[in-house]
Amino acid sequence: MNLSAILLLAAGLFCVGVYGLLTRRNAIGILLSVELMANAVNINLVAFSANSGSPLGQVFALFTMAVTVAEVVVGLAILILLFRSRGGVLVDAAQELKR
Amino acid sequence: MSPISLALVALLVPFGMALLLVLAAPLRRAGWPAAWLSVLAAAISLGASLSLLAHQVRNTGSLSLLEQPWLPHAGRSLVTVGVQVDGISASMAVIVTLVAFCVQVFSLGYMAAEPKADLGRYFTYHSLFIFSMLALVFAPNMLQFFAGWELVGLTSYLLIGFYYRKPSAARAAVKAFWITKFADMGLLLGVILLFAATGGFSWEARVDPAAITLLTLLIFVGVMGKSAQFPLHVWLPDAMEGPTPVSALLHAATMVAAGVYLLVRASPLFAQAELTLEVMTWIGAITAFGAACIALVQTDIKKVLAYSTCSQLGYMVAALGAGSVLGGFFHLMTHAFFKALLFLGAGAVIHAVHSNELSAMGGLWRKLPLTAITFIIAALALAGFPGLAGFFSKDLILEAIFEEQRWGPYALLMAAAFLTAFYMSRVVFLAFFGAPSEAASRAQPSPWSMRLPLIVLAIPSLGAGLLAWSFAELQGLPYQLHLGPTGLVASVLGLSGIVLAYLVYARRSIPLSAFASLAPIGASIRSAPIDRLYQALYAQGALRVAALIAYIDRYLIDGLMNLSAWLTIVGGRRLRQVQTGNVRDYVLVLVGALILLSAWSVIQ
Repeated sequence: MNLSAILLLAAGLFCVGVYGLLTRRNAIGILLSVELMANAVNINLVAFSANSGSPLGQVFALFTMAVTVAEVVVGLAILILLFRSRGGVLVDAAQELKR
Repeated sequence: MSPISLALVALLVPFGMALLLVLAAPLRRAGWPAAWLSVLAAAISLGASLSLLAHQVRNTGSLSLLEQPWLPHAGRSLVTVGVQVDGISASMAVIVTLVAFCVQVFSLGYMAAEPKADLGRYFTYHSLFIFSMLALVFAPNMLQFFAGWELVGLTSYLLIGFYYRKPSAARAAVKAFWITKFADMGLLLGVILLFAATGGFSWEARVDPAAITLLTLLIFVGVMGKSAQFPLHVWLPDAMEGPTPVSALLHAATMVAAGVYLLVRASPLFAQAELTLEVMTWIGAITAFGAACIALVQTDIKKVLAYSTCSQLGYMVAALGAGSVLGGFFHLMTHAFFKALLFLGAGAVIHAVHSNELSAMGGLWRKLPLTAITFIIAALALAGFPGLAGFFSKDLILEAIFEEQRWGPYALLMAAAFLTAFYMSRVVFLAFFGAPSEAASRAQPSPWSMRLPLIVLAIPSLGAGLLAWSFAELQGLPYQLHLGPTGLVASVLGLSGIVLAYLVYARRSIPLSAFASLAPIGASIRSAPIDRLYQALYAQGALRVAALIAYIDRYLIDGLMNLSAWLTIVGGRRLRQVQTGNVRDYVLVLVGALILLSAWSVIQ
């Protein structure tokens, strides 16, 4: 396998995530963007693991997935509360911490 | 029990009691249980001190020492703490605990009408005082002594200001604290100099002759404050704002004598400084005479006794200045007993007529016969009536001054002996004889707790003088009874003082108008010139300096503070603009920083 091609794919995926993070106003879109970034990292881990022959990277990829799932759970819970309290999920509306 | 453990019991039981009463607030506020526990602690302490004295009498000249290292520095300890038991500390411990015990029992009656919480507070202070005083008495070196010295200063402050809701009492407490702290600076400097000169805090060090005079003079300044010597005596009469039993214990018998005790303890140091001894004799004699003069014109019974205390402390200091350690220490002992008795008697009288003024008394011997008898015994002992305690100790002092041929102090002390007899007889005749005043005719007899201590203290006031020989033997000092011309003259002067007071105040055969020419002197004494001098110094000096410092504090120090506060506020107001609260702004900064970091790592 060509390692640099995979790394380029991961970098591209990461940039897509960052772009989404910066441009989306919808909280669900932001969460999805974050997931994309996390998966770019996972691809890197697996690629290096396959390249070096050590299973360590794959184990870490599994860890990352578990952690990401937990993060999404918390994020969605916040999102539901946000929706209930102001009838929408646009993050620009939530600026109370400024004060 | 070994002498060390006895001393530790005497020391630590009152300490434990004070600690218990401080920590267990409900017990303290309960009042009577706290009072009885405190009296119990004093009794245990007295018992331990008495067996200590008995041990010391059986083994005369023995020295027991317990020392623990303290303040480690460079592999050794700079100083030790512990107890030193010898003839001097054992005698002093008995004096302290006996008077303290009598005073506490007396207080059970005298303070009975106080609110319960105040009663508990009062006895807590008393337990703390016994511990502090014994820590000073048993101190094996100058530094532990200093710690105890400051502790008794603290208890003195607390007890003078016991009625702290009364402005005059609070003022008196602060005044006493200020003046003694001022003097303590001298003592502290002296102790530091001692360490610098000898590398230790020993009582008996040989000191370089170049340093010894300054060193002992500085220590003597501390003594002048604590033992109310001229011109630092002004706090003691004001200290009479405290409850009368407190005046008896702290401000007559024991705490003010701590200065004299220091001179006794450090007499090997002082013996090396000829000039300091000369100064001590003069200061002591001036105090003895001056305070006796002031006592003549006081109308408050406690003020008379307070000035009398100053005067008698002057005798002790003069004796030590003349090199007579025995004279000073023996007078300390006899004075502790009869002056505590006088104060407790005065307390009983005040308790009966609810006034300190002599004019409110009169004819009290019918109402309070026991108080009258014991008061008269104590007054005679103080006046140096032949055979009573004060006669022997005062004679020792006068003989010592005579032998040193210091004629100025000698004359002053002789005159003071006459005045002492006169003013004490004046108090006796005005308070106990003559026509009863309205308040005096309504006087109620005292409870037993106020009569028992009077009897206990009357015994040594009568007989302690006969113990002079064994007392001297206990201290390992030479003693011989002189009964020379000095004793004769002093007795004649004392007796004539009594007779004159009898003629003036009892028989009224010499009208008071005969002294009219002395009225201006009396008026100028009453106007308290030294107090006014201090006030002027304070207003001119201390207040000016304080105003300057206040100015610097307000405009310079506070200005800097305000500037930094202003900078923080303005900076914060600017910086808060950065926080938009918009999630995407934060992410933008995050990503931007990430890009910059990556770029930087690539360039590297």
